[in-house]
Amino acid sequence: MLELTGLTAGYHGGTVLHDLDLTVPAGSVHAIVGHNGAGKTTLVHTVAGFIRPSAGSVRLGGRDITGQPAHTVARAGIGLVPQGRRVFAGLTVAEHLRLSHRPPGRGDATRPSEWTPARVLELLPRLGERRGNRGTDLSGGEQQMLALARALLGSPSVLLLDEPTEGLAPGLAKQIYALVGTLAEEGIAVLLVSPSPAQAAECARTVTVLTSGRVTLQVDGADAREDPTALHEALELAPVRSAAR
Amino acid sequence: MNLLDAHLVPAVDGVAYGLLLFVVAAGLSLAFGTAGVLNLSHGMLYAIGAYTGAELSDGTWGGLAVGLAAGTAAAAAAGAGLSAATVPLARRGHLAQALLTFGLALIGGNLLIEFFGADELPVRVPEALDSSVTLLGHRYPAYRLCFILMAVLLAAFGTWVLTRTRVGAAVRASADDPQMLATTGHSPRAVHTGVLAAAGALAGAAGVLGAPIIGPGAGTADTVLMLSLVVVVLGGLRSLWMTFFAAIAVGEVQTLGVSLAPDWAPYLLFAAMAAVLILRSQFTEPATAGHGGGDAGSDPVEWLRRRLSASFKERGRGRGTAEADGAVRSSGRGGPLSRLPRGGPDDSTLASRGRQAAPLLILLVVLIALPALLDAYSLSLAGSALALGLLAVSVTILTGYAGLPTLGQTAPFAVGAYATANLADAGWTVGPVQIVVAAIAAALFSVVTGPAVIRARGTTVLMITLAIGELASAAINQMKSVTGGADGLVGFPPTQALWGGEGMIEEDQVYNYALVVAVVAVVATIAVLRSPAGKLLTGSRNAEARMRASGHPVGRYLFMAHIGAGALAGIGGSLMVTVQQYLSPADVGFEIAAFALLAAVIGGSTSVIGGLLGAGLIVFTRDWVASSWPGHGPLLLGALFVAAVYLLPRGLAGLRLGTGARGPAKGAELPPGHDSVPAGKVAP
Repeated sequence: MLELTGLTAGYHGGTVLHDLDLTVPAGSVHAIVGHNGAGKTTLVHTVAGFIRPSAGSVRLGGRDITGQPAHTVARAGIGLVPQGRRVFAGLTVAEHLRLSHRPPGRGDATRPSEWTPARVLELLPRLGERRGNRGTDLSGGEQQMLALARALLGSPSVLLLDEPTEGLAPGLAKQIYALVGTLAEEGIAVLLVSPSPAQAAECARTVTVLTSGRVTLQVDGADAREDPTALHEALELAPVRSAAR
Repeated sequence: MNLLDAHLVPAVDGVAYGLLLFVVAAGLSLAFGTAGVLNLSHGMLYAIGAYTGAELSDGTWGGLAVGLAAGTAAAAAAGAGLSAATVPLARRGHLAQALLTFGLALIGGNLLIEFFGADELPVRVPEALDSSVTLLGHRYPAYRLCFILMAVLLAAFGTWVLTRTRVGAAVRASADDPQMLATTGHSPRAVHTGVLAAAGALAGAAGVLGAPIIGPGAGTADTVLMLSLVVVVLGGLRSLWMTFFAAIAVGEVQTLGVSLAPDWAPYLLFAAMAAVLILRSQFTEPATAGHGGGDAGSDPVEWLRRRLSASFKERGRGRGTAEADGAVRSSGRGGPLSRLPRGGPDDSTLASRGRQAAPLLILLVVLIALPALLDAYSLSLAGSALALGLLAVSVTILTGYAGLPTLGQTAPFAVGAYATANLADAGWTVGPVQIVVAAIAAALFSVVTGPAVIRARGTTVLMITLAIGELASAAINQMKSVTGGADGLVGFPPTQALWGGEGMIEEDQVYNYALVVAVVAVVATIAVLRSPAGKLLTGSRNAEARMRASGHPVGRYLFMAHIGAGALAGIGGSLMVTVQQYLSPADVGFEIAAFALLAAVIGGSTSVIGGLLGAGLIVFTRDWVASSWPGHGPLLLGALFVAAVYLLPRGLAGLRLGTGARGPAKGAELPPGHDSVPAGKVAP
């Protein structure tokens, strides 16, 4: 379970996130939606340990990991699939898997079962076919799978997904979202950043709207699926259907 | 057969020499290619190993083993220390780190001499190896054969670790994207430290084992650094195999080449280097690894094939591109060019103009007043500082405006200097003639070297320009009829300030002449840099891709800047000859190149005045301060380097940022390279 309390963070003195409270229980998907510049990626980077928060705390299964460096955060059980995938250009798929594989830390009761390269390849068979290819030789979809595999091999209890379907064909995006659901069923707490409120509502148990670094709405995913009006209002979106006609 | 027979020994020597260079260069390449540190103190790490090995060598196997352990450990510790020293510079790009390592190399070299003495230390190899074996009818030192074996083992082990192990994968991943490496639970900082320690260990081990081949002495660090830089440039950063072949080739040139063609060997090395640099258009930064096509790292044949076909394609396309460039430029003239801002908005008021010009005016007043304040010796030093200042301004143009950090501007500087000295010797002593001829000669030289320089970006430029500087040094030492070789030139008639005047002999005359020339050159430079041409250059540095996309032939701009900077350096060289009245190769050597770069960096890399002040500070440190503590010039300068890197991230010019004047834009934070953000790296 991931708990953020009063999280405040930013860059070079400018604050981007203001006093943010958020909880992602194990086995659930929590979606973050918001406009460009709302602070979605800053939130992900702060949790991942790239940015040191100026106030508040990040707790993972009760353990305080606020302000820890990124590799410590990763070892504590937080996996990151970053925006833009950022696979290693010079490493083959097999090397990615080997480098990222790390047995779960001892004494961490909340952590789900271990992910081994074999298990990851079972979930993402396409990667098995491209074992010998380097990161940059892969297609966008394959790179996304590799980035996901890289995060999973740390056997995380929390998975941060920053716009995982960016630039992917709709069919592929659907697959990725289905995969996210599967992972949550495995007991992983998923924090999903999505540009699309509809997609977020589709797979998330809870949807949080972020505006200028503050939480402006938090709704149940099921409610948002039935009636997205509140979500759209919070995002100040024009009613899409009437505009299209 | 006879020929082979006669040259067998030097040929085998070349293999030993080449393997030694390979081990050292592999460390340099590792530190640069994967940790991003162009370690100019790498030769010093070799020297640490060599001194330790020599000190502990007592003719026994035990002595060698203890020496190897101690030398390797000492150099590895120094490498790890270097990693710690670069922590505060993490956000400052490669150049700051390279300068830091140069400063540390100066300090370390001075301390080593202090500790072990300036004489070359004798090295005793184990007695069992202190004999010769018979090799195809020739007697050959057993130690060297043994060294070949050890170097091969070391190289094979290193290659295995880097390409086949998880640690090696982590190292390569950290070169790509350290943040993402962290998300896999590995500490990028630990990898950085480990890589620099391993690179140090390689240099140290090579130093201990190679001490009987390149022995510990005052010039060891420089020799080893230069040769391994040549190897790294020839071999590229992508493939250990290429580095290996390059190292063997360099080793053979240094041994077989010298025995076959003693006159040509020094050129061969750097000519090969220049050829490679000109042919190879993709000697990319490590940080841009994601963009480059060089993915055949482990297969040299495939690599070579691609490289060759790429270079032929390049050349075939060359003509077409040039025409296209021309077309783009002429069509662009009416468009983006004319719309470029004619000076920033803060240029509009007289007050801010005055504030901007104030430092320059103050400096000018001080410089004019100097003859009344200083004694003759100090005044001639001030004259040298002006000459070095022009060199520093030339470096500022390339480094700060064109984004091409250079260590090779001493080459056009030397061209200008030797042109002036030879003119004077031939009776052409009129100042303006000397200046103009020196500038033209240096500009022509820059036309020749330009294509090699402007293709690369960032730290790679440092290496390429370093090669150019060294090539020039080699030529200076060879062409004795023009340059006087190592003895230099002396005894040519003094310069006349104008036609029909007397030759200037008095220090204050010479100084005033130098001041006038420097002021004219600097004012012209500032005028050009403030004009739209300067803005185009700044634009090219800050956003090369966007400039290209808006139809600007960026390569052409950089080429013009390179020629202009070369001409300015040539004027500086001419002034130096006039001021000093003698010329030696040391006046245009690598150290001066590094000083010029330091002066530019101390000054703030986009500040012309800063560059002049930086040059003054360096001459002050080197000649005034050091004279009161003899033998410690390098130590003081090294300390100055280190202090400047840490304390003046934006240079002297950055100090007046707070006064409301327009400071140097972001430029003082030196560009890590044009558009060098790796694929997929998105700023948050």
